[in-house]
Amino acid sequence: MDAFYASVELRRRPELRGKPVVVCGSGPRAVVTTASYEARKLAGIHSAMPAAVARRRLPDAVYLQPDFTVYRDASREVMAILHRNAETVEVVGLDEAYVDLTGLFSPKATMRRIAAEIREEAGLGCSVGISENRLLAKIASELGKPGRLAVLSRSDALERFAGDSPGLIPGIGPKTVIKLQRMGIRTLAALRARDPAALERAFGPRTGRWLHARSRFEDDTPLTVVREAKSQSAETTFDVDVSDSAQLTASLTSLAEELCRRLRSRQMEGRTIGIKVRLDDWTNVTRSQTVEQPTNDPAVVAPVALDLLRAYSPPRPVRLLGVRVAGFDRGAETADEPEEAQDQLQLTLSG
Amino acid sequence: MKFTTKQEELVSKLSIISRAVSTRAATQSLSGILLSASEDGVTLRATDLEMGLQTGLVSDVDGMGSVLLPGRLLAELTRSLGDAVVEIESREAERDVEIRSGGSSFHLRILPAEDFPNFPDEDDAPLRIPAPALASSIELVARAASRDDMRPVLTGVLVTAAGEEMTMVATDSYRLAVKRTELETGIGGELEANIPARALRELGRIVSTEQVADVSVSLLRNQAVFRAGAVVLNTRLIEGQFPNFQQLLPKSYEHDVRLPRAELLDVTRRVSQLAQRNAPLRLSFAPGELTVAASTPDVGDAEETMPAAFEGEPLEIGFNPDFFKEGIESVEGDELILRLISPLRPGLLQPVDNDDFRYLVMPIRLNV
Repeated sequence: MDAFYASVELRRRPELRGKPVVVCGSGPRAVVTTASYEARKLAGIHSAMPAAVARRRLPDAVYLQPDFTVYRDASREVMAILHRNAETVEVVGLDEAYVDLTGLFSPKATMRRIAAEIREEAGLGCSVGISENRLLAKIASELGKPGRLAVLSRSDALERFAGDSPGLIPGIGPKTVIKLQRMGIRTLAALRARDPAALERAFGPRTGRWLHARSRFEDDTPLTVVREAKSQSAETTFDVDVSDSAQLTASLTSLAEELCRRLRSRQMEGRTIGIKVRLDDWTNVTRSQTVEQPTNDPAVVAPVALDLLRAYSPPRPVRLLGVRVAGFDRGAETADEPEEAQDQLQLTLSG
Repeated sequence: MKFTTKQEELVSKLSIISRAVSTRAATQSLSGILLSASEDGVTLRATDLEMGLQTGLVSDVDGMGSVLLPGRLLAELTRSLGDAVVEIESREAERDVEIRSGGSSFHLRILPAEDFPNFPDEDDAPLRIPAPALASSIELVARAASRDDMRPVLTGVLVTAAGEEMTMVATDSYRLAVKRTELETGIGGELEANIPARALRELGRIVSTEQVADVSVSLLRNQAVFRAGAVVLNTRLIEGQFPNFQQLLPKSYEHDVRLPRAELLDVTRRVSQLAQRNAPLRLSFAPGELTVAASTPDVGDAEETMPAAFEGEPLEIGFNPDFFKEGIESVEGDELILRLISPLRPGLLQPVDNDDFRYLVMPIRLNV
């Protein structure tokens, strides 16, 4: 979806059309959630930029508080249109989805029709990228923004992006880019040319192989229709059980930061923040609290988690401490699913 | 209320009672410890409504009465006192309690005691269970109970006893532990109750520190009261049908593998270190040997082979490392028997010469 939150705002306030619109919070640490294309063009405002910077650059823009209830409703409208038109749809965020077009006679025409339906019925614009795998489709959709459809084959991509930074590839973040630069790799072509074994040595076997595949625009991840996760968590088991509350506080804070980093990289935000405490006698305790707006901000998650820990005040030394964020796309979740191995078999209990 | 006691005595009794102090503190009074002085001496009490604890305190009483004090604070400050003698006296006008020891004095505000629950009375003729049998059964069985409040029935241990036999059963649906014990003396009646595992674990701890010969049990409508010497524990009973465990135990097995217990436990503990994040422990049986292996992506792997009296077609089965380890720990004797059917059917750990203790554990499906 193009400038999704801003477009949803424009849909309900047509008088703002043509003006630069920025959706962001109002707190001192708020960041831009979305900027309309006008705001992007006028002052280079982009999402994740500190709201204060945006206000300085473009004081005349219309600044709106995010209203996630409305965005979720709009998202459901759009996804319903996709589901109506295609069998396999993987929704990966409020404003992003993959559609499996395998076997369709005319994928381009199909996607044009779907985009038109979204425009007419939901009043929202979207960009479409069509290609042979998820990675390429994602890159193609960026090329199409805003409002167009782009088709990208792997051989096109290899040629077209050869001189671009590896950071072009989703999943290759700034840190990896810097590390690659230190190895003398500045372009995708250079990354492709590098011996995979060298990458594995530098980044570990898994990431090394992944980088090599990504540089060649290879991606065999299938579409998963079921949402991958209801919650994300970070936890640590102490080497020695801990009773010191200062140490628990420090550890929980850094866990919250670690979790938020991961949530951001996956573009996930949740409303329910929980803690998990395992005492030295293996008593497991979980506590959770739901906040008003979905978040992946450590400045929100950490204080809530610390409050929960203080309220519980572990009566015995702590063996394991964890923090969890849930409630990503729907209302608050309260029940904590026990974490267990996927294929652990159970006894069939009857009365 | 006024009494004098030894600091050591107060610390040890408070540490017993503190375990029933509510940490969630829905009601303020449940976070307190009730101190009552009467002609019979001083009594300490705490309850979180699920479980209550009561014990006497050796002391010299100079004035009667009772006060409710914040439990954690009282326990902590008592532990910190520097002198052997502690005096505790309530001050009506100030609505607080003065605690004096050596040169230090503390004033603790009292908590409102109106909604502090009454403790149930014991039967005049309670059942009696020999303490060692009770404690050892609890230790073997209670760990298999569920800690998931979503399934309350499984958070308890089903205790049945009649005549000279007692059985305890617990399952969290991933494993099942059953312990049958011949008692030296009859219990003097019949007992069948699903008792919260937490209360039983607490009882086990009390029994082993109190050095008593037997524990009395009074069964009330929805509560049970246990007395071990001077300590009285009451607990809510769990309602609802406990699973029919007999039908969960397979009637027959394909393999009975006799294994040296200590070695199996050592191997399991060693290898389990590399079974992190829910990774299974992989047991591969081949004629004459057992290989225990584990592997965690991005961390590493481990394996160790030990001799095993296994015959027939090789068999590979996965278990949760903790569940398997706890099973081995619970079986007594130099050797144990691991009984198996197939990779997707439960395995059973038991002693070699009897089946008084059985520990059934469900496997983890292995990706080949």
